[in-house]
Amino acid sequence: MKKAVKYWCGFVLLLCVFTVFTAFLPGYSAYSDLKFPYKKAGLTSEQAAAHLLSRFTYGATPGEVEEVVKVGPEKWFAAQLDAQMPDDSLNQFLDKYDALKLSNTEVVAQYPKGGQVLRMAVKDGVVNKDSVKTDRKAYRDQLQNYMQQNGLKPEQELLRQFINQKILRAAYSNNQLQEVMTSFWFNHFNVSVVKNDCSQFIPAYERDVIRPNALGKFNDLLLATAKSPAMLYYLDNFSSSGNNDNMQAGNGQARRRLALQMQNTDTARFANMPKLNKAKKTQGLNENYAREVMELHTLGVDGGYTQQDVTQAAKVLTGWSVYPMEAYGNAGQKLMNRIGDDKLQSRGFIHEGDFLFNPNKHDNGEKTVLGHQFAAGGGYDEGVQLLTMLAHQQATAKFISKKLATRFVSDNPPQTLIDKMARTFINKDGDIKQVLITMVDAPEFWSAAAVREKTKSPFELAIGSVRALHADVNQPYQLFNWINKMGEKIYYYQAPTGFPDKGQYWINTGALLNRMNFGLALASGRIPGVKVDLAALNNHHEPESAQAALTIYSKLILPGRPLDETIKRLTPMLNDPKLMEKVDEASAKTPVATMAPESSNEMMDQQTGLKGKRKNNFTAMQSTAGNNSMLAQVVGVIIGSPEYQRR
Amino acid sequence: MVSRRGFLKSGGLALLGVGLLGGIPGFLAEAAASEKIFSPYKKKKTLVCIFQRGAMDGLMAVTPFTDDYLKTARPNLFMSAAKSGTGTPLIDLDGRFGLHPAMKAFEPVFREKRLGIVHGIGSPNNTRSHFDAQDYMESGTPFSKGTSSGWLNRAVGLLGHDALTPFTAVSMTSAMPRSFYGDNPSVAISNLQDFTIQMRGNPTGANMAAKSFEDLYDQTASGLLKQTGKESFEAMKMLQKTDVKNYTPANGAVYPNSALGNSLKQIAQLIKMDVGLEVAFAESNGWDTHFNQGTENGIFARNVADLSSSMMALWTDLGTYQDDVTVMTMTEFGRTVHQNGTGGTDHGRASCNFILGNDVNGGLIYGDVKPLAIENLEDGRDLAVTTDFRSVFSSVADKHLAINNDHILFPDWKGDRVNVMRG
Repeated sequence: MKKAVKYWCGFVLLLCVFTVFTAFLPGYSAYSDLKFPYKKAGLTSEQAAAHLLSRFTYGATPGEVEEVVKVGPEKWFAAQLDAQMPDDSLNQFLDKYDALKLSNTEVVAQYPKGGQVLRMAVKDGVVNKDSVKTDRKAYRDQLQNYMQQNGLKPEQELLRQFINQKILRAAYSNNQLQEVMTSFWFNHFNVSVVKNDCSQFIPAYERDVIRPNALGKFNDLLLATAKSPAMLYYLDNFSSSGNNDNMQAGNGQARRRLALQMQNTDTARFANMPKLNKAKKTQGLNENYAREVMELHTLGVDGGYTQQDVTQAAKVLTGWSVYPMEAYGNAGQKLMNRIGDDKLQSRGFIHEGDFLFNPNKHDNGEKTVLGHQFAAGGGYDEGVQLLTMLAHQQATAKFISKKLATRFVSDNPPQTLIDKMARTFINKDGDIKQVLITMVDAPEFWSAAAVREKTKSPFELAIGSVRALHADVNQPYQLFNWINKMGEKIYYYQAPTGFPDKGQYWINTGALLNRMNFGLALASGRIPGVKVDLAALNNHHEPESAQAALTIYSKLILPGRPLDETIKRLTPMLNDPKLMEKVDEASAKTPVATMAPESSNEMMDQQTGLKGKRKNNFTAMQSTAGNNSMLAQVVGVIIGSPEYQRR
Repeated sequence: MVSRRGFLKSGGLALLGVGLLGGIPGFLAEAAASEKIFSPYKKKKTLVCIFQRGAMDGLMAVTPFTDDYLKTARPNLFMSAAKSGTGTPLIDLDGRFGLHPAMKAFEPVFREKRLGIVHGIGSPNNTRSHFDAQDYMESGTPFSKGTSSGWLNRAVGLLGHDALTPFTAVSMTSAMPRSFYGDNPSVAISNLQDFTIQMRGNPTGANMAAKSFEDLYDQTASGLLKQTGKESFEAMKMLQKTDVKNYTPANGAVYPNSALGNSLKQIAQLIKMDVGLEVAFAESNGWDTHFNQGTENGIFARNVADLSSSMMALWTDLGTYQDDVTVMTMTEFGRTVHQNGTGGTDHGRASCNFILGNDVNGGLIYGDVKPLAIENLEDGRDLAVTTDFRSVFSSVADKHLAINNDHILFPDWKGDRVNVMRG
């Protein structure tokens, strides 16, 4: 008996050790039985690795295809799903972006909007409101001084840091899939810097809401977005309130006073100027979020809901709002703090981080959405129930699966694949990892109709090139400007639909020329603060001829691709020796961008614009070490080539 | 009159001079061989839309100066049409409405009945959020956020023919405006000079790269890239015909040195190059005048001066092309009837807009502006929206671009048009 216990204990111990051990081997245990069907599709291991990297990273880095072949595509993918790869050097680099660690409350306090600053300055009697008429410069100076004295920084600086970090993560993170999925879900649950009311909250939205849930459960992601200030402001749900007839009765004065204060808080936050506070605020139901959560976030436009469902869902979500956080003279916040969370809770408020459920704005009546009844008096919980129900609908499973397949397989993914993914979505409780596994495990993922069938978005093109060339990015914002020029102003897409995910959207005449120009500018070192060392890519072996350069660098930049056509087309040009000479000659006389120092100057550069900058930062100099101008030209043409626009 | 056809042909020959790209470009060769590709140009008209972002104070732009309620509500902002008073008077348009004196550039075209004004125009959705109101006006669906396309993009789809050139719809902005979102081909570009393969200071390299690119795109297996590549190089060559950089406006037109002036100048260039431009878009910023908007001088005066002078420079520059062009302004909402505590006005409801063109039944102020007594105001504070913006936009689109499919252009809208156009 004793012996049996002893063995039993030993076995348990062994089990524990094993579990602990495998826990440190990310992914390998959980997905060890994966075997991707690429051979059946006629792909070599190298082609399979290249395809996998083209779908789940921002582009292969030199040698990465070989690495994936060595590790095995299944293991590589499993590790990416776990998203536990060390990113120490990236994180160290990101550390210098101090604004990115702030909570929303801190952001509001430190990076106020122009209107808020003005309001504060006028209130403090620092800015003379008549001065704008007489002396605009003096007025601006006054405001700038005021900001400095109070430790305030412009919102644009917050957004600059935010955009920079996205570019750096995409370019350098080892957890590429997590970053790709973060972009995917951000675009799915789009919010926009263009909407002034929500722009301040977007950095925390991506950091706290999207990225941590990007490979989790869909339901968690949906709930987190629903409760985030960025979404609540972007789609107006913060202001939505129920019909007064259905308001909770009783509990008298305190509630009414609080309700009044809360209304004033909302008004104060959005009033650009004090006078508007007195304006009659439109009260009542706002259906924007309720409609889009069904049309764009869950069921899809053909998801079988009616206008009646939208209105009813909007009523369910009344009272879902933002905890007051504007520090300056905010009566609502002071009052809330005085009352304290405990008391708030006893009055039916829910305060979770930035989220506030305000029962005084909640419609307390009975509702029916998609045939599901919500009894009267459901409060906060019925909103959670509604979103959970939406997250688990068949229509949602299909809609999300199709969107994922469109992102990762092709612009028109086969229905058979969507159905498989949707089944997993339902069976595995919306587990995003499982849905992705089903997708990669399907023959459709590896078919000829999928390989190289996606068009890179401008962001993917820019980041992919940076990765392919091992470029050293010191001024990420310069890349943002190029990405914008090529047609993808990230974080600024106005509509809640997010950027369309199809080739036709990205490829138009102006954008295409800019893609070519981007390739030439990057390869020839003409993007300030983005350094490429083309010679180092080939271990400092100088190609013997232009022809050799073309062959070598095509393979480096486009691994696993059929390149005969590209090489054949370009060869005659390269064999014209006179042309070569001319290029070298012309290039030698050409000013090349020197490295502008990365610092807060970059911000100033943005403001003063290119004109002032050109004078300062371009000096006539020979092409940078190792970047032979012919080589730069060849590489630039490869990046601008049609083959490189595809993935 | 120089026929456009002749112009195009000679343009084709001139391209040989460019040389580096070799031979007659595909588009023009095709064009020369086929009559039909020319004909669409001949009759096509251009609609130029200007979005005034920030919400223009329509009551200051075009003031109902006989309204004593307004005078009382705006002790520091009200301007008079009386010549006896201090300061520059409003330009009396019809005994009731006065044009802001900084918009004097508009007076001649109004008197010539080429400029129409609609007052009390706005959206049926009473949001006073810039973002939402612009979004709704540009999508053309004031109660639906999820509309993926913009109304001008839908207009391109309703032109009755495929987009014939890369320049059918051009927005002179760095990013695609909401109005242009959608499946129909459109281009956003802030500077026409960018429409080329660039290697600063290295024209030889640039030319060689251009040749390589053109070759590569011509041979690619991807239909989308091949077609767009072809169009891109055609577009580039079209622009190379003219010296875009050193453009001299015709008829002594002088564009203000402003963002809007610059955009309209480039639109004029495209129109005069006959590159098939049918829908153009430009932006004017800075209309959110909460603070000291001024009267005859100040922020507002500068803004309206820029708007009117830019539009009139375009008009003058167009010369014989005037018959083909209509210019229409729009803004997301108007501003409060009362001035606020900081010498400005806050977010309101209705504003006014301007429509300029030889097809316009101008010299009139359309719409319904009631006396600004509190009982006539929307929510007791704002000039009421009495004309849905769609009833004007659809009328202009129909009469100028022959687009009469309102249920596609403005889905869910069942109102009547306000016919501001002739015929």
